[in-house]
Amino acid sequence: MSEKLQQIINKQHKTLSGDDVKIDEVIQLVGFIVGDEEFSVPILSIQEIIKPISWTRVPQTPSYILGVFNLRGAVIPLIDLRSRFGLETMKHTEDTRFIVIKNGDDVAGFVIDRLTEAIRLPKKDVGPAPDTINEEESMIDGVGKQSDRIITILKVDKLLERNF
Amino acid sequence: MDEFQEILQDFLVESFELIEQLDQDLVELESRPDDLDLLNRIFRVAHTIKGASSFLNFDVLTHLTHHMENLLNMARHGDLVIDADVMDVILESIDLMKALLVRIRDSGEDSGLEVEPCVLRLDAVANGTAVPASAPVAAPEPTPEPVVETASSEEEPDYSGMSEEEVEAEIERLIAIRQAEDAAKRARKSHDEEQKSEPAAPASAPEPVKAPVTPPVAVAKTEPAAPKAAPTPRKVESKDEGEGRGGSAVEQTIRVDVKRLDHLMNLIGELVLGKNRLIKINDDVEERYEGEAFLEELNQVVSIVSLVTTDLQIAVMKTRMLPIGKVFNKFPRMIRDLSRELNKKIELEITGEETELDKSIVEEIGDPLVHIIRNSCDHGIETPETRLAAGKEEVGTIQLKAYHEGNHIVIQIIDDGKGLDAEMLKQKSIEKGIVTEKEADGMSEKEAFGLIFRPGFSTAAQVTSVSGRGVGMDVVKTNIEKLNGMIDIDSEVGRGTSMKLKIPLTLAIIQALLVGVQEEYYAIPLASVLETVRISKDEIYTVENRSVMRLRDEVLSLVHIGDIFEVERVFDNSEHAYVVVLGLAESKIGLIVDSLVGQEEIVIKSLGEYLKGIEGIAGATIRGDGGVTLIVDVAALMQMAKSVKSTVGQESAENKGRVAAKSSASDYCVMIVDDSKTDRTIMRKSIEPMGITIVEATDGVEALNILKQGDHNFDAMLIDIEMPRMDGYTLAAEIKKYNKYKNLALIAVTSRTGKADRMRGVESGMVEYITKPYSPEYLMSVVKRNIKFNEGL
Repeated sequence: MSEKLQQIINKQHKTLSGDDVKIDEVIQLVGFIVGDEEFSVPILSIQEIIKPISWTRVPQTPSYILGVFNLRGAVIPLIDLRSRFGLETMKHTEDTRFIVIKNGDDVAGFVIDRLTEAIRLPKKDVGPAPDTINEEESMIDGVGKQSDRIITILKVDKLLERNF
Repeated sequence: MDEFQEILQDFLVESFELIEQLDQDLVELESRPDDLDLLNRIFRVAHTIKGASSFLNFDVLTHLTHHMENLLNMARHGDLVIDADVMDVILESIDLMKALLVRIRDSGEDSGLEVEPCVLRLDAVANGTAVPASAPVAAPEPTPEPVVETASSEEEPDYSGMSEEEVEAEIERLIAIRQAEDAAKRARKSHDEEQKSEPAAPASAPEPVKAPVTPPVAVAKTEPAAPKAAPTPRKVESKDEGEGRGGSAVEQTIRVDVKRLDHLMNLIGELVLGKNRLIKINDDVEERYEGEAFLEELNQVVSIVSLVTTDLQIAVMKTRMLPIGKVFNKFPRMIRDLSRELNKKIELEITGEETELDKSIVEEIGDPLVHIIRNSCDHGIETPETRLAAGKEEVGTIQLKAYHEGNHIVIQIIDDGKGLDAEMLKQKSIEKGIVTEKEADGMSEKEAFGLIFRPGFSTAAQVTSVSGRGVGMDVVKTNIEKLNGMIDIDSEVGRGTSMKLKIPLTLAIIQALLVGVQEEYYAIPLASVLETVRISKDEIYTVENRSVMRLRDEVLSLVHIGDIFEVERVFDNSEHAYVVVLGLAESKIGLIVDSLVGQEEIVIKSLGEYLKGIEGIAGATIRGDGGVTLIVDVAALMQMAKSVKSTVGQESAENKGRVAAKSSASDYCVMIVDDSKTDRTIMRKSIEPMGITIVEATDGVEALNILKQGDHNFDAMLIDIEMPRMDGYTLAAEIKKYNKYKNLALIAVTSRTGKADRMRGVESGMVEYITKPYSPEYLMSVVKRNIKFNEGL
């Protein structure tokens, strides 16, 4: 009996530690579409995802900053990722979402065209950003490859960095 | 280590508190050098700090305070007369002590400051006057008769001359007397004493003897400091006072970390927002369910909640209030130093030091006041000779007043010096290139006084160490603006100057005026709003490209809020405008807005790291409806107003410019609005040969949307009257509401031929009326005429 128990414990132990290793190797991302491309950010950097609500324009800011909105009492900047990426702006649709991204004390909401899914991606499938992009300026952390598609992983700190 | 930190904290807090009172006492002491109470109090400060610092191993501080104590002790016994020179040395040493304490607070060490010269001077003063230090100290020793006297003698170094038995006997007697002393206090003090004895030289010599015997005795050493040299009745009195302070103060006050108060204030802020929202909802519900029984109850609850919230807010605000005396306390000393330095005779009168205001404001207000008072001393008050010659009293007076006025605190600094000379100020400013001659000519006296706040301005012919370096007064302005305060200067040449600072009581929750511009709203801190006026557009004049208006006997420069905040002005249908007159520090400006929404209590929230420092925006607040409203930074707005090109009443010029910019036929753009596809095709075919751009819409709503999107700059629209959703008349009326479409030619193309229809067309803003059927040529010529086709090519 005790032998059996030992076995079970051992087995459980194995799976546990095995899982640990796996978690280490897998990154979890949330994918979304802006324009024609699929982007993603680490799931842990996302505070929440909400449907579009009204916002207030803030003067003297670049056009990609739509303004600020009220998220349960906190005033949060709202950034339009389409115009941030130099794409044409589009009217909000049924699928439009605000992704509230957090990095330390910096918080901002980003307008995206639509969500795709939560992605688990083995670390080995993530390649570096293309060399042609200036390392310093780039908002791209890496490129994830999945069977039929590639996903651009964005640098959260760059997204939340003020550049005006 | 933690324990040590704790003790160190207590020590610092205590020391700074003691020092605060010290300056006041010292200046008083100079006028009443023989006031023993005062002397004793000052002595005790030096003594307490010496004791504690030796315990904490701050040798430098101990060394310094020890010598101070010596000197003060002599004065206390009447062996040293305190004159101005002695005072200077004492003050110097106290400054040094403060500096050391600050160092300890910041770095935890008391090294790095040179105290030796000061110590030498202290000793020199002590020795140089009459008898060497040891002699007078020795004197009281052999007079053990009255209890009081003995108590005092205990402190002198000559104690060491006593035999051990004598000392012990003395100690025992003292214990009996001091039995009533508070036990805790005793224990703590004794600790101090124990430690102190080692590094401290002669004065504490007897302590090592006492301490080992029975620790509590040490109390006797500190406590009698007050009563010692004084006659018996006074002793009792001061002792009572001391106990009263120790006992009741401990029970009635609590030290709270400011962070906790800040947190509390934040929570209250949230509550106020909630309250505002509740009130709004209550109003809505009231409207909807008028006359229902539950409304009464809801009303009651809402009003109770709102009442309690307001009370709570006031209560929490009060916990953050400090008397302004905290700031005022340092000025007597400053005036004293300045008057000696400048060889002037100046008296400071302080009133209203008990007036309370928010801690954060108390912290900010210190520097500006220092600058203003320095300025008054240096530039305001004349030298005694000049004053006498001018028939004034030899001693100049500076009055420092604080009092409440509504939701503001007013601090007034009045001197009876030479006053400001408006002409001289203008002259100076022109010389320094701060203003042009033209600007100076147009300035009123008040505006000229305001020049002293300009950066780079200094009227002093000579730069002194006190002022005249060209910095200072503009710092005053910046700081006061930061607090949303206002400055008002009044001055009369030869009679003096009065400077009035008006500052809001608190910063976190403010009253604001909500204004609307187009579809946006902004909140302006009510503290900066002087008044609002409704004017008609023809009251706005343009002077040198700037809009101004006449407000009573003043000329007020105007700026449109839309120009400052880049608000797109889509409609402009009113002949009237509202002007919000803003006042900040010493300047005024009129802000044109489209509408006044009302007054509301708002909680200031920051825009966060990402958007901080946006020019003209001080923060944001959340309104009752959950939306975000931006708060105007009045100081920045005034700055921006200087550089913003005013467009008040200049819209038409812009439109002309647009027409002139055509260079080819396809730059012309015409919209065809008709629900019938056939009709649209006929129209298009008719005007297509011109080579102009043509856009089609199937009804009024679509047309309006296309227009609003702004992809094309339309020159004309061909509009059918009978259309679903929105007919032609309505469409025309809608379009004409927008200011920027004033010049857009609207041409009705319809089968309605009645005169009444034509009239309606004209009323709704149509310029031409074409009845179907028509020839293509006719239509083309009408369009050409209306869009001035080819004229601009």
